[in-house]
Amino acid sequence: MKLILLLWQRESISIMRNTFQIIMLGSIFLLGIYAIYYGHSKISVQQKAINDVENIESTEFENYKNSFNTKHISTKEKQLFDIASNPAFAWYRHQYHAILPSNGLAHLSLGQRDIEPYYYKLTSSSLYYQLFGSELANPQKLYVGNFDISFVFIYLFPLLIIAFTYGLYAEEKENGILPLLKLQTIGLRKILILRILFYYVLIVSLSIVLSSIGFMVATEINLMDGFLWVLAVLCYLSFWFALMFFLISLKRNSSLTSICAASLWLLFLIVMPAVLNAYANIMYPIDNTTLADVTRRRSIENEDDPNEAKAIIREYLHKRDDLKGADSLMNINTMAKTYASFTALNDNHHRKEVLAYYNQIALRQKKIAQFRWLNPAVNTQGILNKIVETDSKVFQSFYHSIENFHKDITKFYFNRLFLNKNISFEDYNTLPEFNLKIDKTAKNQQIRYGLAVVTTTTFLIVLLSLFIFNKRPS
Amino acid sequence: MKHQIFFIARKELRSILRQNSLKVLFTFVIVLLGFALYAGHISYKQQKSMIETAQKERRVEWLGQGNKHPHIAAHYGTYIFKPKTLLSLFDFGLDTYTGTSIYLEAHFPHDFMFRPVQGYGNIVRFGELSAALVLQLLLPLLIIFITFQTFTKEKEKGTLKLLASQGVSMKIVYLGKVLAYTLVVFTITIPFFIGLYLIGVNNNNDLVLTDLGLRTFLLFLVYSVYLWVFTSFSVWVSLQSSSARSSLLTLLIFWIVTGIIIPKTSANLGETIYPIPSMKMFKEDIQNDIANGMNANDTKDKRIERLKQRYLKEYRVDSIHQLPINFSGIQMQEGEEYSNKVHDFHNAKLYKKFKLQNRAGSFMSFIAPYIAVRNLSMAFSATDWYSFNDFQEKTSDYRRHLIRTMNNDMAMNSKYGEFYEYKAGRNLWETIADFKYTIPKATMNLKYYWIELVSLSIWVLIMFILIPSSFKNKLD
Repeated sequence: MKLILLLWQRESISIMRNTFQIIMLGSIFLLGIYAIYYGHSKISVQQKAINDVENIESTEFENYKNSFNTKHISTKEKQLFDIASNPAFAWYRHQYHAILPSNGLAHLSLGQRDIEPYYYKLTSSSLYYQLFGSELANPQKLYVGNFDISFVFIYLFPLLIIAFTYGLYAEEKENGILPLLKLQTIGLRKILILRILFYYVLIVSLSIVLSSIGFMVATEINLMDGFLWVLAVLCYLSFWFALMFFLISLKRNSSLTSICAASLWLLFLIVMPAVLNAYANIMYPIDNTTLADVTRRRSIENEDDPNEAKAIIREYLHKRDDLKGADSLMNINTMAKTYASFTALNDNHHRKEVLAYYNQIALRQKKIAQFRWLNPAVNTQGILNKIVETDSKVFQSFYHSIENFHKDITKFYFNRLFLNKNISFEDYNTLPEFNLKIDKTAKNQQIRYGLAVVTTTTFLIVLLSLFIFNKRPS
Repeated sequence: MKHQIFFIARKELRSILRQNSLKVLFTFVIVLLGFALYAGHISYKQQKSMIETAQKERRVEWLGQGNKHPHIAAHYGTYIFKPKTLLSLFDFGLDTYTGTSIYLEAHFPHDFMFRPVQGYGNIVRFGELSAALVLQLLLPLLIIFITFQTFTKEKEKGTLKLLASQGVSMKIVYLGKVLAYTLVVFTITIPFFIGLYLIGVNNNNDLVLTDLGLRTFLLFLVYSVYLWVFTSFSVWVSLQSSSARSSLLTLLIFWIVTGIIIPKTSANLGETIYPIPSMKMFKEDIQNDIANGMNANDTKDKRIERLKQRYLKEYRVDSIHQLPINFSGIQMQEGEEYSNKVHDFHNAKLYKKFKLQNRAGSFMSFIAPYIAVRNLSMAFSATDWYSFNDFQEKTSDYRRHLIRTMNNDMAMNSKYGEFYEYKAGRNLWETIADFKYTIPKATMNLKYYWIELVSLSIWVLIMFILIPSSFKNKLD
């Protein structure tokens, strides 16, 4: 213990004397604070958009409800009441919103939240006409990416580790201190490990301080998410320390060690992911052109022909066993029923194409995920996104939940429309509600698996380093 | 003097060739560059084929939509797919982050749909491998690895003093070294850009890109300048450093700060300073302006009434039923025109914010030359924001022309109050020519990138200023 304190005291003094290292530590800390601020401001903007959307929706439905209590003297009042109570208007005028709320820690790792839409406007008209919009974004900003705290941990902290540790052995050798160290009874390897441990404690502490600041600014925090976040960051930083221990164990000069470390950083953070993306582009291209036709607003060829209109309604009712008896009611609100049937049939018709599109995406992501174990940086980024629910899987769950929500909305309005029932004031108490379903079990399993892979890799590198260090001559 | 510079350069080249680790790195960069070009080419061909097929299908659909009322045809509309530009095989630029298709329909100017990035998952945020990425980030790193000890090693071995004693000035040694490393870089870039041009010529069978030669030359020029600046800067750092270690550390920090940290932070700062609204609020504002008017007391109802009175007065009739034209068509077109005005106003406001956000990054190119070359590379590859915006504007013009033609036909050939009675056919659909797009000349884009051009020029100037004077010998 005395030895540890002595060595760590020496390292502390060495850091304090090294202006460059102090500046580096300070800069990374400040960048970390900025990253937390940026992530937080980005999520706050999204939260504001969500609040706006919710307000617009609640005002709209409040107006509909109020229209039941007014006298409907003016044209506007009459129109509003018609939209509120008559399903022939309401089915395409009532606008709902499916919202993907942000996880309390989403500001730490923004993931796909700036790319994928996090809210959708929905009516019971064609789902696919409404599903493929995007959120406003500056493409150049999307291209550059987000400077959130996960970026600081994934990209910048390894550089900090490299800068502090690359010379731990080589510099002692180059400065002529190595023979003196060899004279010590505790052994060179132990001294080296203790010195690495000092930097491990220092850098890990910095990451915990930054994470804690991130937790403090969170609007709400799930303790398990917080724990997993810290664990994931620790695993990732441990991997980089293990990698540096391996490079140091090769006992090369400081320049070569730093070149190798920089090359590994480049390999894991830029080259490997970039090559993998290029491979995926070639092998699993995504063709979205097939979907263009799906999003089209279609009209009925001969909508003025009552026979054609009724044929469309019959075709739809044929698929809806629960609307038996609606056949005899089709002379009322025929046009509305025809178009409602038409959009529903169109969606059914195009379901296969949309599914094929999502299958292409799922296949591409599945194939890429098979290579994740090779790259702890990509793996850890994926884990962090998963913990704070900003990964692409969450958006896929969001999409599936939207499909179900749209079914509920359609059922609510179409049942009343086809059975000629008006929407009553009481019906407003049972309006469809959006339920987001995320498979938490699968999420936790994927996080556990990811962490196990990074930990195993780290452990193997440490073992290999210990072996090599003993074998290689000083 | 020239002879001495060449002599130093030759000596330096021999020394580089002797280092096996550098040969490995050199090969690695070339392989990566080749693979990036190959992957870019395959991807380009795949995307091009998909887009061309889809575009042809949509054209057939438009022409074969049968007889119907022009307004129904205007709602049926058509689609336009963003063509892949040939040089996107070199620099993907923003292609992954901009939409790929747009639905052109009456009343609703839709936005581009399907950003490819939406299907690529988390890993795409680490970046895609393109030849541009290799030249912008990886080749400079190779330059750092081959140059960081060019002076420090000579200092440690004492060979620099030996050269000085033979009357070789520091300026000559410096220039010789810069020349040697520039030649190494050029042995990669010259064949590469020739190859890129040949691939381009071989594939350029459409009219989307008409100035391939000029664009390739501009790309070569920009990258040559950038890599020369990087080479000179690296050699200068080595000259100034007391040891190889400090030289390497300085250069690596410069590479990371200017290539990774500054580009990201400046873009993020730009977004924080110039925030954009959410899509929902953006659309709400537009709808509000259309319904209530951009000026006070100018609601939609009032605008329609005004239009009605204007036509009644012009044709000297008492009722719109007496008009020789269908007032509904006129009203629809007037609505479109007003909606276009509102959209143009709001889009201009939004794009101004995009420009301001991007400008924050551009100004940082005075510190980080990477930003300058990245932006210019995208511009010359026609994968930048301005190129996308130009395409966006052309599709908007096409949509407006399509809708105007439908509305005018409705106004001229049908009667007020009738709808199903009038049907137009293929003759009308054929008056809408197929959408053809040609990218503006590269020189047209230059005006947007004056900051980047000035910053690169200043970097070149600084590198010239940093050349050691003949009379000043650092060894003293």
